[in-house]
Amino acid sequence: MPDIYTQPWYEAVKDTINQEVTKLKDIPDGKWVLAVEIVADGVSPYVGGGADGAANLTATGADERHFLIEISDGRCNWYKEVEGDYGDVELSYRFRGPATVFDEIAAGITDPIDAALKGAVKVRGDMRLLMRQAKHVKVLLEAYSKAVDTSWPKGKPPYA
Amino acid sequence: MHKRYDAVIIGAGHNGLTLGAYLARSGLDVVVLERRHEEGGGLCTEELTRPGFLHNIHANYHTFVDLAPPIEDLELRKNGVVYVRPEVQMASIFEDNTALCIYTDLDATVESMSRFSPADAETFKRLYTEAHGYVDLLLGTLMFQPPMSIKELTGALGTFGIEDRSEFLGVKLRRQSINQFLDQHFEHPKIKAHLAFHGAVCGYANDVVGLAIGFPLLIGKIDNWNLCVGGSHRLAHALWRDLAHHGGTLITDAEVVSIVVEDGQATGVRLSDGEEIQATKLVASTVDVEQTFLRFLGKTTGASADGAGDSVKEDAVGGISTELIDRVESRIAHQDWTLFSVHLALSEPPYYEAAEFNPDVNNAWVVNLGYESLTEMNRDWQDIRAGKLPLPKPNAAVNSLFDTTDAPAGCYTGLLRQFAPFSLEQEGPGGWEIIGRQYARQCIQTWERFAPNLSSDKAVLDWVPYTPLEISQKMINMVQGDWMCGAIKLDNMLDQRPLPELGGYKTPIGRLYMAGSTQHPHGFITFGPAYNALSVIADDLGIKPWWRRI
Repeated sequence: MPDIYTQPWYEAVKDTINQEVTKLKDIPDGKWVLAVEIVADGVSPYVGGGADGAANLTATGADERHFLIEISDGRCNWYKEVEGDYGDVELSYRFRGPATVFDEIAAGITDPIDAALKGAVKVRGDMRLLMRQAKHVKVLLEAYSKAVDTSWPKGKPPYA
Repeated sequence: MHKRYDAVIIGAGHNGLTLGAYLARSGLDVVVLERRHEEGGGLCTEELTRPGFLHNIHANYHTFVDLAPPIEDLELRKNGVVYVRPEVQMASIFEDNTALCIYTDLDATVESMSRFSPADAETFKRLYTEAHGYVDLLLGTLMFQPPMSIKELTGALGTFGIEDRSEFLGVKLRRQSINQFLDQHFEHPKIKAHLAFHGAVCGYANDVVGLAIGFPLLIGKIDNWNLCVGGSHRLAHALWRDLAHHGGTLITDAEVVSIVVEDGQATGVRLSDGEEIQATKLVASTVDVEQTFLRFLGKTTGASADGAGDSVKEDAVGGISTELIDRVESRIAHQDWTLFSVHLALSEPPYYEAAEFNPDVNNAWVVNLGYESLTEMNRDWQDIRAGKLPLPKPNAAVNSLFDTTDAPAGCYTGLLRQFAPFSLEQEGPGGWEIIGRQYARQCIQTWERFAPNLSSDKAVLDWVPYTPLEISQKMINMVQGDWMCGAIKLDNMLDQRPLPELGGYKTPIGRLYMAGSTQHPHGFITFGPAYNALSVIADDLGIKPWWRRI
């Protein structure tokens, strides 16, 4: 069982997406690069040190963690954590929110669509495409939020 | 030798200027042509009553501040725009001198509502909280993107299971009026009336089936009403500054009479003085559909106040089918109500009797004077659509309470707005010339009834009516006084606005785009039509969208 926010966990999410997407009809063409930005909120122990404050910032000193996911013709090519900004990478979407919300989504406690609807996760990018490819988007979200057995070495949400 | 630009934009309202500024920042050589003597369109501020009193003749309420991307992209604050967001955004004062206020502070709004109905106050809190949460998402999905179809939208809502997740959003809203939405969720007539009144000021009549689909979004930004300090025209000036700073040109007193089309492509425009201006990459019209297709493209040679054009007919130019011309003539839908205004110079602000009930009404910006129930509003809509003048229940705004620069020291600029017909039952639109001043007096008398201090001889220094007929004469793109530049109804929204074949900002003529308030989303100071047309133009021309901050 991979630890949350580790390369094995990203690989497991990627594999799940690629398995599930084969069940879909009308898989969308084209390449999307998604950025996920998880911001320290003083609660999650996985970003910014949680309740212990800024003692455990990421390597860049930022109190947020950034991830990039490339989807090509419906399949996930790669999912990785990156330091700092994205350089020349042209983003299709950016999802940004507090660490606890993302932790709870990954733990299957918080529904990602609810989080977006309530503004807890901010979404930037061509929303029309997200709506037009709603079935595919749902597969991605379910893979992220429910499908991978995850280990939580610093504690599992909901946090006290 | 003809002048030549990359992009020729017809109309210097906020959409024309916005599109021009983005394109100029993208490196194009841009000209924006304006028929009137100044830029701004509906962003029009004039000293109508007396020197020093700055009256916003059209746009007074800016509700997309910090929601519309151009404000940041075009650095409008750096270019001189200052906004004030009054703490008491809106109020309704009722005949019994009770009052309900909407504040920037949700808890204060809930407290105000709970004096009428604790249950409704809690419902409003849930509605606002839910709607405010998805304002960002919905604006990104629906307002500041070229439009999806209603079928795509409802399909996605179904796939994402929105109806199960939301108390207020759902596919069924497309079959409901705002009245039905309010009746379903709220109980107190005054609270329902206030929320419906708010929708109407936004252009959404409460009795039109289908408009409930937009109502939660309106509620989500009910506390984002902003006033442009120094008058709404300051925003136009800031847009012009940005355009000019990036090399763009604005030419006023430049009346376009035709769009030049060669081999099915728009190649320029011709002005009323005979001058031709060439466009090497695009022509964008931000004025009404009737002028663009019936006048500029050769069907008729003049435009009258009611938008019908004069009777001199010519052949439509190449690239436009006679079917499209016919559909423009017969299918373009305008709002079936408009606004009658009275602009006032005041020596003192209104002191409402309802301040005994809630002192904050004296500091409220937009004040509904008297609508107490949906029934009253429904009756007035029916009368207005029949060309009848309703008994005045105007809404009042005194901008000087929040912006002391818009009136001489110690004085106040006042505005009354009344929902009204464009064409009067007996006299037609011309009837306004006869009845305008009398109706203005009635509106002022209504205000005095709620704020008796205004009836003293010294309180009202001067006043000027501004009729629906004058709207259509001054801003000829607001056909039939239609300040939304197209009806707000379900079959004239999203990709159906203004016609399905014109709904994507493109036209059947190559390199000719539509980028004004006739397009999705609609009128009001949204910036949406220009911003969305820009996306389409950028795709066509291969412009790298520097403005898309994903």
